[in-house]
Amino acid sequence: MKNKILVLAGLAMVNVWPVLAQTTTAPAATKPAQHAMEPAGKWFVHDEKRPQPKIVMPGAAFSQSAPAPSDAEVIFDGHGLAKWENIKGEPADWRTQDDYVETKPHGGGIRTKGKWADFQLHVEWAAPNPPHGTGQSRGNSGILINNMYEIQVLDSYQSPTYPDGQAGAVYGQSPPLVNASKPPGEWQTYDILFESPRWNDKGELVKKAVVTVLFNGVVVQNHYELVGCTDGINPAVPYRSASKYPAPHAPEVFIQLQDHSNPVRFRNIWIRPMHLGENL
Amino acid sequence: MKSRIALAAVVATASIMPMLLPAAEVVVNGVAGFQDTPLEPDGKWHVHDPARPQPPVVTPGTFSAAATPPSDAIVLFDGKDLSQWTDKKGQPAPWTVENGVAISAKSDIVTTNQFGDLQLHLEFREPLLQGREGQDRGNSGVFLMDRYEIQVLDCYNNKTYADGATGGIYGQHPALANACRPPGEWQTYDIIFNVPHFDTTGKVTSPGYITVIFNGVVVQNHQAIRGTTNWKSPGKYTAHGPTGPLGLQYHKNSVAFRNIWVRPVPLVTDP
Repeated sequence: MKNKILVLAGLAMVNVWPVLAQTTTAPAATKPAQHAMEPAGKWFVHDEKRPQPKIVMPGAAFSQSAPAPSDAEVIFDGHGLAKWENIKGEPADWRTQDDYVETKPHGGGIRTKGKWADFQLHVEWAAPNPPHGTGQSRGNSGILINNMYEIQVLDSYQSPTYPDGQAGAVYGQSPPLVNASKPPGEWQTYDILFESPRWNDKGELVKKAVVTVLFNGVVVQNHYELVGCTDGINPAVPYRSASKYPAPHAPEVFIQLQDHSNPVRFRNIWIRPMHLGENL
Repeated sequence: MKSRIALAAVVATASIMPMLLPAAEVVVNGVAGFQDTPLEPDGKWHVHDPARPQPPVVTPGTFSAAATPPSDAIVLFDGKDLSQWTDKKGQPAPWTVENGVAISAKSDIVTTNQFGDLQLHLEFREPLLQGREGQDRGNSGVFLMDRYEIQVLDCYNNKTYADGATGGIYGQHPALANACRPPGEWQTYDIIFNVPHFDTTGKVTSPGYITVIFNGVVVQNHQAIRGTTNWKSPGKYTAHGPTGPLGLQYHKNSVAFRNIWVRPVPLVTDP
């Protein structure tokens, strides 16, 4: 189906596609024929014709600078990256300053050494100001759960892109219910409730991954059941291809912050187990 | 363990239908509750069972205290008046408003607006009550569609039956954690609600679902509810329309509320 140029472009866009896209002034024209269809059969993956989420101006603060509850593990408080490593397992070398850490463009992602199942994660992030680039090359990063399930981080404030790639999207699968982005440079909050997928002894998927996301205090994902791995971040699902679940993995998963060649800042990251199933 | 007076007080305030006595209250490990009630569907615990495990105590942060509303929210109480609320007969809400807070009094109140799926933010403050315990300590409640209750209670150093503690879906699903702040401090509820759906014969085709973040701690995670909240009943659905009012309970205690806003939007992700 694809010609050689498209294949090359597709490969180049896996993880680092802004290298190409940074020079463009408008979102690349979607040619849906090259994109897999989403399971509901209505939209192609990264379909620019999919309706844009309605814009909601969030409140000023919500959970900004929220202190961690007593049973949470603070995984970044501004003081070093001792709880993180790079994707080769070496010490994380992103730059920290004041209370934040900044992605190191082209330096690869960083991930937690710790792993958690069925967790609540609080993260704050800020896209560069003044903004640089457009669409997917404007403040792009991501919360990559186990390097498999991505909650998109992007400067989506007055910056159009395909809906399933906006801030608050489950990338490539579920657009945010609304666009609750703040302007670039301002701190924004993600409060993420994640249920790990489960497989049985035969390796059959018995429970899908599920996510709820409050973005700046606005619900943008409400108990969304993931179709599978995010496309383009894990070899199990190449960029723009139909999502599916990877080989079975433990419910305990790490948190990875994506390097997508744009300098994005993160602060006040904490995580706690939700103790699900204890109140049924 | 308790004097008869204390028992009577607990019984009399034990939730929605205090007139239906006598109730054989029992005390287990210092927790008052009931074991002559129906079993929950899991077959393990009675409704309001004092032996049901207590939610683990978590000391919360401040989280969304004083969060300003998003642009698509309807502000239901901003500290000025209760013009968007009435009592259950449609008369002006009989709660007092002073110093920017509304204090429960006299009767339950309901919104004049009807809501379906929603995201709700509200803040409450428990009174300092010496010598009160169990269900008698700062009891109120948030009623979704005027029938599904998320319990409001002061459970800071105060034990009660697990399905009646703060953040519980009353009589059904205890909170996953006890994230209470001390009385006198403001506490936050961030609630996500999906309405139940019924077919034309009244059969449930999809239950209601409730997520509650209490002081920044998830205490209900898209929990399927079993039906209308009722005292000493495991919950049962009665078919209703797609919308209903929000209610706040007066339960003989003066509980303060502030900063109430709701986003009445469909909260089902487009597949």
